[in-house]
Amino acid sequence: MSGRHTGEQHSHTVEGTDPRLYVGVHDPADDAGLRPVLLLHGFSSSAKLNWEDTGWIMALTQAGRRVITVDLPGHGRSGSPEDRDSYSPSRIRADLLQIAFDAGARPLRDGDPASGLDVIGYSLGARLAWEFGATQHELVHRLVLGGPNVADPLADFDLVAAQRYLADGTPIADASTAGLLKMAQLLPSNNIFALLSLVEAIKDEPFDAAEAVPPMPMLLVAGEQDERAASMPELAKLGARAGSMVEQLILPGRNHTNAVTSRAFKQGAISFLAV
Amino acid sequence: MSNSILESTSGESTAMSADKPVSVTVMSMQQALNRALDEVLAENPKAVIFGEDCGRLGGVFRITDGLQARHGAQRVFDTPLAESGILGMSVGLAMAGFHPIPEVQFDGFAYPAINQIVCQIARMNYRSRGTMPMPITLRVPSFGGIRAPEHHGESLEALFAHVPGLKVVSPSNPHEAYHLLKYAATRPDPVIFMEPKSRYWQKGEVDFAADGDAPTGSKVMREGRHLTLVAWGAMVSRCLQVAELAAEDGIDIEVLDLRWLKPIDAAGLAASVRKTRRAVVVHEAPLTSGLGAEVAQLITQSCFDTLKAPVERVTGFDVPYPSGDLEDEYIPNIDRILFGIQRVLEYKRG
Amino acid sequence: MAEISFPLPDLGEGLIEATVLEWLVSPGEQVERNQPLVEVETTKSAVELPSPQAGKVVRIHGGPGDKINVGEPLIVFEVPDNTAGIVGTVPKEEAPKRRVRLSAVLDED
Repeated sequence: MSGRHTGEQHSHTVEGTDPRLYVGVHDPADDAGLRPVLLLHGFSSSAKLNWEDTGWIMALTQAGRRVITVDLPGHGRSGSPEDRDSYSPSRIRADLLQIAFDAGARPLRDGDPASGLDVIGYSLGARLAWEFGATQHELVHRLVLGGPNVADPLADFDLVAAQRYLADGTPIADASTAGLLKMAQLLPSNNIFALLSLVEAIKDEPFDAAEAVPPMPMLLVAGEQDERAASMPELAKLGARAGSMVEQLILPGRNHTNAVTSRAFKQGAISFLAV
Repeated sequence: MSNSILESTSGESTAMSADKPVSVTVMSMQQALNRALDEVLAENPKAVIFGEDCGRLGGVFRITDGLQARHGAQRVFDTPLAESGILGMSVGLAMAGFHPIPEVQFDGFAYPAINQIVCQIARMNYRSRGTMPMPITLRVPSFGGIRAPEHHGESLEALFAHVPGLKVVSPSNPHEAYHLLKYAATRPDPVIFMEPKSRYWQKGEVDFAADGDAPTGSKVMREGRHLTLVAWGAMVSRCLQVAELAAEDGIDIEVLDLRWLKPIDAAGLAASVRKTRRAVVVHEAPLTSGLGAEVAQLITQSCFDTLKAPVERVTGFDVPYPSGDLEDEYIPNIDRILFGIQRVLEYKRG
Repeated sequence: MAEISFPLPDLGEGLIEATVLEWLVSPGEQVERNQPLVEVETTKSAVELPSPQAGKVVRIHGGPGDKINVGEPLIVFEVPDNTAGIVGTVPKEEAPKRRVRLSAVLDED
């Protein structure tokens, strides 16, 4: 594989503090001449787990695409800032915009296939991609949203119960909260308190898909056994109402965890973005 | 081991000679080295093999193929990509009574381990007044000829031979590889075992018993009357080709496989050149301060009165080992060796 | 021809097994080094395993849904006996060629 981690930290700070986000740029051996693809991973994951180990970076670079990855704050190789503001979705979106420009993305121009930016997001990354597309329509060309939520499950996260559990082991009553915390604790690389800061910040800015809808073409993808597959038509309807062209792809036999590696997902995304 | 002589694994063929119950097996140098290591592990419970990709993969040249499966991951294992660590660990293991057989994956990767090799392995026995021998057999796939990038085609024999406390040996064919490695791996002192990687795939007859064939000193690979070609490693087979071509011109050449590059078999050199009275040394390493100079001096010392010409050297050039594309220009080729022979043949005194 | 077997590699994080999701190659197929071989899922994530080797696939172990322990056979390749390994190429054995002729009057004193 020719793509390499440059490991560059983006050099501009937005709104004061540096969130120390870890950015990777992967160049293809044979550049197809298309706009770069920004990959946004899910909660408690990382660019490596969500995109590299699953074969996405190799598949995209082999398709001639330049790939930009970023670890969300408190995840992967990014820093875990002390201030809660660094974790707010709006702040993260601002940082992503700066990262995309630093990595060479340029506003869309008619007739220039190298202009603009394609975004692929998974789970929490899909939420960020939805909002990013809705606010950056001069930049974003197309979106691929994997395992997308209509509402954010993190918004209902019982922070108090989680903190009590972490302090003295008191069991967590809410099954969703317990499940998310277990997932976050599985990876020793996760900074659990940074992840809880992210949850707190998300509770302040919960996802409202209808509030701002991306106008560009979207591919929605979910595993057949992922409950989000059932709510995908709602997102599709919102998109269609806003004038967006929306395609949906269901991956047979897959769930929210193992849909990520699916060849059908990768091939669907690559062909959807190859225009 | 007598039973194993007749065993033939895939790719090998066994031949029996009619008059003597001696068998030879045709195998590649890879297979011969692999067999030798397999037997060393079986015979010496203190022997351990390790290096980059030596364990699960079986080595990038398959020399340790299958050894981890047969002898366990305690005795055949992978190391991090850190040659100083590989050799440093060898020192510790040797102190603890083991017989380490480390591999440095390619010649050029020995440089990062030079401190361990020169300052620890070579000196520990001396430094400890004989209480800490270093029975380490360091395998180094060596020399050029496989179109590899930088650091994969170097000839380090002069560097190693210069270090007191080290022994250096290089086999030229599968039979030599088997016997020299088995012998090296029983030595109480550190031996640098330089495997000519361009000959790994060459097949040849291996006589596992080889009675009366001492694994020490040099070995006459072809007898001749007019001139001695001295070589080691991959250059031996090239010199044998040259000898056949020279025979077409009426020149009868003796080919001496030096085998041990430290200590050098001065008596063997003297015996051959006293007979032929002419000598050419061939090596891949650069000319200046190469081992050819040492060989020429030893010959001059013992044969000065009978030599018909100064000893010639046909060697690599005084440049960094070139990339694969230029390799054939660098390594002594048949014509350069023939030119060297011609210079000796036409030498006139006065 | 020789066969080389590769076990399920250590997937880190103390994981001891993985479940096959989908094979991306099949027996008889020629694969390149680093070509994706199989998708597997652990208790923590799903990963795509790249091929450690170029060669022809002889056998694959485990179908979708089957669990494989780390260290157990995953795939077997057929490779030529004389593959050069990772670096370099196998030198060709050629008949010796010469341009230089020797000429000497040997006084056999």
